[in-house]
Amino acid sequence: MTTTELLRAESVIKRYDGVAALRGANFSVANGEVHALVGENGAGKSTLARIIAGATRADSGRIFFEGNEVSISSPLDAQRLGIAIIFQELDLFPHLTIAENIAIGNLKLERQAFVRRRELDLWCQPFLDQVGALDSPRTVLANLPIAHMQLVAIARALSLDARLILMDEPTSSLSDDAVERLFATVNRLKQGGVSVVFVSHRLKEIFRICDTITVLRDGSTIGTKTTQSTDANEIVTMMAGRPLKDRPIAKRGVSSDVLLSVSQLTTGRIQNISFDLRRGEVLGVAGLVGAGRSELGAALFGLRRLVRGRVQINGQPVEISSPRAAIEAGVGMLPEDRKLQGLMMQMTVLENSSMAVLPRYQSWGIIRRKKELVAMEAVHQRTALKAASPDVPVSTLSGGNQQKVLLAKWLLMEPAVLFLDDPTRGIDVAAKADIYETIHAAASRGMGIIFVSSELPELLQCCHRIMVLHEGRNAGILEGAQATQESIMALATATAPALSGQSGLPA
Amino acid sequence: MKTRYSERPPLEAPGRLSTARSTGTDRAGAIRLLYRLQALVALLGIIVLAIILSPRAADGSNIFLEAGNLTDILRQVSVTGIIAVAMTFVILTAGIDLSVGSTLALGTSVVAIGLTRWSVPLGDVGRISLAIIAALAAGAAVGALNGAVVAGASIQPFVVTLATMIGVRGLAKWLTDNANIDIGFGQDVAAVFAAFISRKVVVIGSLLVMAAVFWLVLDVTVFGRYVRAVGDNERVARYTGLPIARVKIWVYTLSGLLSGLAGVIYAAENHQGNPNAGVAYELDAIAAVVIGGTSLMGGKGSVSGTVVGTLILGILTNVLRLNNVDSNVEMMVKAVIILLAVAVMSRRKSE
Repeated sequence: MTTTELLRAESVIKRYDGVAALRGANFSVANGEVHALVGENGAGKSTLARIIAGATRADSGRIFFEGNEVSISSPLDAQRLGIAIIFQELDLFPHLTIAENIAIGNLKLERQAFVRRRELDLWCQPFLDQVGALDSPRTVLANLPIAHMQLVAIARALSLDARLILMDEPTSSLSDDAVERLFATVNRLKQGGVSVVFVSHRLKEIFRICDTITVLRDGSTIGTKTTQSTDANEIVTMMAGRPLKDRPIAKRGVSSDVLLSVSQLTTGRIQNISFDLRRGEVLGVAGLVGAGRSELGAALFGLRRLVRGRVQINGQPVEISSPRAAIEAGVGMLPEDRKLQGLMMQMTVLENSSMAVLPRYQSWGIIRRKKELVAMEAVHQRTALKAASPDVPVSTLSGGNQQKVLLAKWLLMEPAVLFLDDPTRGIDVAAKADIYETIHAAASRGMGIIFVSSELPELLQCCHRIMVLHEGRNAGILEGAQATQESIMALATATAPALSGQSGLPA
Repeated sequence: MKTRYSERPPLEAPGRLSTARSTGTDRAGAIRLLYRLQALVALLGIIVLAIILSPRAADGSNIFLEAGNLTDILRQVSVTGIIAVAMTFVILTAGIDLSVGSTLALGTSVVAIGLTRWSVPLGDVGRISLAIIAALAAGAAVGALNGAVVAGASIQPFVVTLATMIGVRGLAKWLTDNANIDIGFGQDVAAVFAAFISRKVVVIGSLLVMAAVFWLVLDVTVFGRYVRAVGDNERVARYTGLPIARVKIWVYTLSGLLSGLAGVIYAAENHQGNPNAGVAYELDAIAAVVIGGTSLMGGKGSVSGTVVGTLILGILTNVLRLNNVDSNVEMMVKAVIILLAVAVMSRRKSE
């Protein structure tokens, strides 16, 4: 390419607790390009992005910005150079307004002793316009959906005159339409001469918006390719170090007896959702963000007060008023955010795995470690967990292995119904395949599984049937050949009469 | 220049976790072992320092190392040590108990009242037991109240126990008409109580037994694991169906119970029921817990750390006093030690 180089990182080395995260990685970004940084979990891509943004300090290595060697030892240094990072877990202040979030930490504004709200609004409006954010600058951030928060984070980066914006897994929590809006914003930034580094797993997205792709593996740079000159297979092979094939998933038969029957389920955000789940069935749940997918889980797990609705398990009506009651009734839930809702991050693999069923492995209140270990190892045979020992804290595991521990926690309990809220979010391909197999093995033993996902191919691959939610309602349940990406999207966006035989629209 | 790295710890075959405890070859294990021993290393350091700084007796022997001095240290730290052991559990749940000093005062008051004002036809042993049980029950009741409000009303533990700290102090003063109740100066049952309970072996023994029991409870019981789980992430605990309210009520009850026990020992050692006793003891206990490496954020910490923290503070006080250092200076030195200890801990965490 003929474009000029904006940033170059050379031989970057970083170790955590003696474990190398980066072993001499090289990376270079040109002016006005969208550059993908890809790699499996633990490859070091987030670490490299954090080092460039001054959020983490490298042990050694050199960074050049516009040809000059620079030392970036804090986020402030990066800000002065015009480098901004947008973290996966957006580092915004939830209780401040949009305008305050954009202005805070801005050196130019900090010189002033007092803040005039109106001035602040006027000042930040152009940045909000640039990213296509429509909310009022006075909106408190906590009231916004996550996709909007992300736009605010980008607007903040722009307000700092950022010339290089690093985005760490920006689409992992976005629905498809929000992804589209983000991509439009990224394209606008690119037109304006801003370079964007896109850290991601999702090759499809990368091939859509990135000009260049750099692959990391085990802390080293494997290579850089222009998007035109490569394809997904080559990148996957570079990431994995070997060609990866899609493992087919054997869908087992579903029994005919109804395990869970939900009727007219209504909370503040979902309305009249009814469906049956059969023994051994994997029921997919699709829908845009905000369509009520997670809310359905919250309602079934006793985290929301029901306005109306009945839930029956094995034909018996159950009253689910709290997670404890849900668990007693035989409902488990693997929550969306494993770090905040799923795992005790400081506790060990063993402790997390057995947490929900610990009383089984005790006598007189004393934990029988042997029994606990045997049970845990049996369940991890199925999840194919990789960990150095059962006594390492889960915080030291990769995202995929953390997710396996979380899954194991519920598999050990063997609930009648298990609700999985985006169980493969942000984890690598191999771990995903392990998780699909584990889910199906559990289903084949008679568990009923509700599988929420933002990734349609995954749902199509794994589920017996797929329920599509739209604005808090059940828009339809697709089965067999009816279920395609197109038919799901049509229901999810309510754009077309998707089901043959259900098209009640006049011609 | 090229840096060489040792490889990452070997990953075992899927599903086959090594069940052995950390071995020397396991890097993560070695680091964890070092972390566990860190408090012990600090303790050894302070002992060495104390030996060096200790004045010599006339015959050239080291005063710090004299058996009498060493057991004195243990006796002196016992009251706050007992409180700190239970405080560890509270802090592990990401809570705090500010009421322990007041509860100790209530304990001293109740045991003194029981010994001097209750005339029950039970004989010495019976009367002493009754008084002690009453003091322990009073302490446990205060703790149970703390726990019930913390768990039930979801008010921050700091605020709840700040309120009981004030209220229970008032209760102790009201019960005693704001006067010390002298015990054990005559030939009565109270004298028997004071003479027995204030013996070094009983005082030190109480601390050691409590530390051992709480250590075991934390390490090997379901309750102990729940305590850490609730503090690590209460939301996850709720999503896992753990009995969070029960765990909280229990940890505060235990904190109150041990504060009551500390009050009984205090009363025996000082020959009085003192409603003004134990002021700022909560801070000493928290300091010991924190020096011992327990995080105020909850989830992470140990009873052994707290014991070490208690000993470090005790040895420090002892050696400064042996050298006739002004007690005001002593406080300043303590302040530095607390900050140093926590700085070391948090640096390790961020690495």
